Amino acid sequence: MSRGRHDNLTISSFPRAVIHIDADAFFAACEQARDPSLRGRPVITGKERNIVASMSYEAKARGVVRAMRLSEVRKLCPDAVFLPSDYETYSLLSKRFFAIVRRFTPDVEEYGIDECFADITGMRRPLKMSFPRIAAAVKEELDRSFGLTFSCGLAPNKTIAKIASKWKKPSGLTVIRGRDIQDFIRGMPVEMVWGIGPQTAAYLDKLDVRTALEFAQKDEDWVKARFSKPFYETWQELNGRMVYELETKEKDTYASIQKVKTFTPPSSDPEFVFAQLSKNVENATMKARRYRLAAGRAILFLKTQDFHGTGAEIRFSRATPFPHEIIAAMGPAFKRLFNPKELYRSTGVVLFKLTEDHIVQPDLFGVTARYERLVKVYEAVDGVRVKYGKHTLFLGSSFYAHKFGQHLGERGDAPKRRKELFKGETERQRLGIPTLM
Amino acid sequence: MNRTRTPKHFDKIVAFYRAHRRMPSHAEVAGIAGLRSKGSTYKLVNRLVDLGLVQRDEKGKLLPGSRFMNLPQLGTVEAGWPSPAEEELLDTMSLEEFLIERPDNTFILKVQGDSMIGAGIMPGDMVLVERGVREKDGDIIIAEVDREWTMKYYRRKNGKVWLEAANSKYKPIYPRQELRIAAVVRAVIRKY
Repeated sequence: MSRGRHDNLTISSFPRAVIHIDADAFFAACEQARDPSLRGRPVITGKERNIVASMSYEAKARGVVRAMRLSEVRKLCPDAVFLPSDYETYSLLSKRFFAIVRRFTPDVEEYGIDECFADITGMRRPLKMSFPRIAAAVKEELDRSFGLTFSCGLAPNKTIAKIASKWKKPSGLTVIRGRDIQDFIRGMPVEMVWGIGPQTAAYLDKLDVRTALEFAQKDEDWVKARFSKPFYETWQELNGRMVYELETKEKDTYASIQKVKTFTPPSSDPEFVFAQLSKNVENATMKARRYRLAAGRAILFLKTQDFHGTGAEIRFSRATPFPHEIIAAMGPAFKRLFNPKELYRSTGVVLFKLTEDHIVQPDLFGVTARYERLVKVYEAVDGVRVKYGKHTLFLGSSFYAHKFGQHLGERGDAPKRRKELFKGETERQRLGIPTLM
Repeated sequence: MNRTRTPKHFDKIVAFYRAHRRMPSHAEVAGIAGLRSKGSTYKLVNRLVDLGLVQRDEKGKLLPGSRFMNLPQLGTVEAGWPSPAEEELLDTMSLEEFLIERPDNTFILKVQGDSMIGAGIMPGDMVLVERGVREKDGDIIIAEVDREWTMKYYRRKNGKVWLEAANSKYKPIYPRQELRIAAVVRAVIRKY
């Protein structure tokens, strides 16, 4: 390999400065941080679904991985503590996580419930700190405020920052300067790079490219000739340039809305399975109405116990935000898809071709007045939901899904926070402040 | 600026309205204002109507004006000047702001046990605690002792640190290893 190949690389330390911050084993760590009896023990969340949603580092060390069944976990790790997910608490803490990072820079991209990017370019002077010092201060502030740890990576762009935050986990702080990128990606399999999937990795393998460094050191023309734009962009970022800007705007519109729910035990009762689908449609349209969107098309799908899926697409004569219209249209497709000899474990719906609700055109024969009546009906329905809870009013077609909990035995699996209420709190509304317990 | 003072008895009429959830009759207004003559009472009410503070319905009974809805302790200002109430309220805080100084660091905890009874903290009370702050001598803190949270006074004298209950039933705790202090108590809330 000639020296000349290295010219791709940026020499400057931080032409731009981006931190990627990742909470370590977030859900399990939230549980450990509020209950000291869990500290140092293998903790697993996801009890309500019988599948590992998150595991503490103690459990990870014993070989527990995500999506493992709890029965398998018990074999590996008989002393594991299983907890139902408390998404309310995780969301409260997630919001705080972003709020604390925003104390250091306004440019924060919430990339997931437990990770974010922060662009600190230009913040050295106002904060009177070097970039590595800012990254350290962010981490310190987060670790202290939560009682759990975060892993941070500081780099000249998002792709490298992701590599940096993963470099040392848990509780790592890794700084990768532009000129040092090669040292970090030398031995790294190319599929470990953010945005490079198994298909691309397999193709690269055929081209004799196996590590991230081998990819980064290819000529610009070589890359452009063989790969689409996103991979060319990744190549540029591996060489220290910043191509991907942070998406700091909060989401105010959706390309599609998806609702999927698993239920246990699996069922071959068509009424029950259809009710599950109907409940998903109600939840999806509720969200659509909140963002003033109407769906032009929908996909429904059913998944069997052995993870095989079937689905069908439905088109509407006019875009609709109303669940009963979508459910009525799904009836025939459901009958076609449903096989009574199968056991089903989940249903789902995707609404897409979303348009803004207030410019919905009434169809040729549709009576506008009828449409407007429906708008009023659902305004009332949504009003009742806001006041009395999400599932106080629902369609008859969803009845069987509401009659039982989503998972049999769910009653015993409610998060502890929901069971131990303060005076004045109700089953439906609690104080929006996380607890120690 | 043509500024008129609110008639003397207006506040009392508002208080009557708050207490009884209805407007007083003319006779009651007379009682409130300490007026004996119906004529003077009528004059007072007319003045209030002219200022827009109260209204009369078709039958001549009193209706509340818009000022009955806020907390009017200020003078009225005639046409063209905004009510000063808004600006005055900028210097008030909500109960939430009063209790929670650092929202991103505040957690709640339900009190168990009677070890802080002497400090007025009862079992079942809610305490608001701040994580990630430095504790001082005399603070009530949440520490981790034997894998449980415990709430005690934090004491530090001459480099020596110990935890003290507010209940003579419990002896002070002198930590042998490093003491893990998770949070400092900032407020206690008890709802009846």
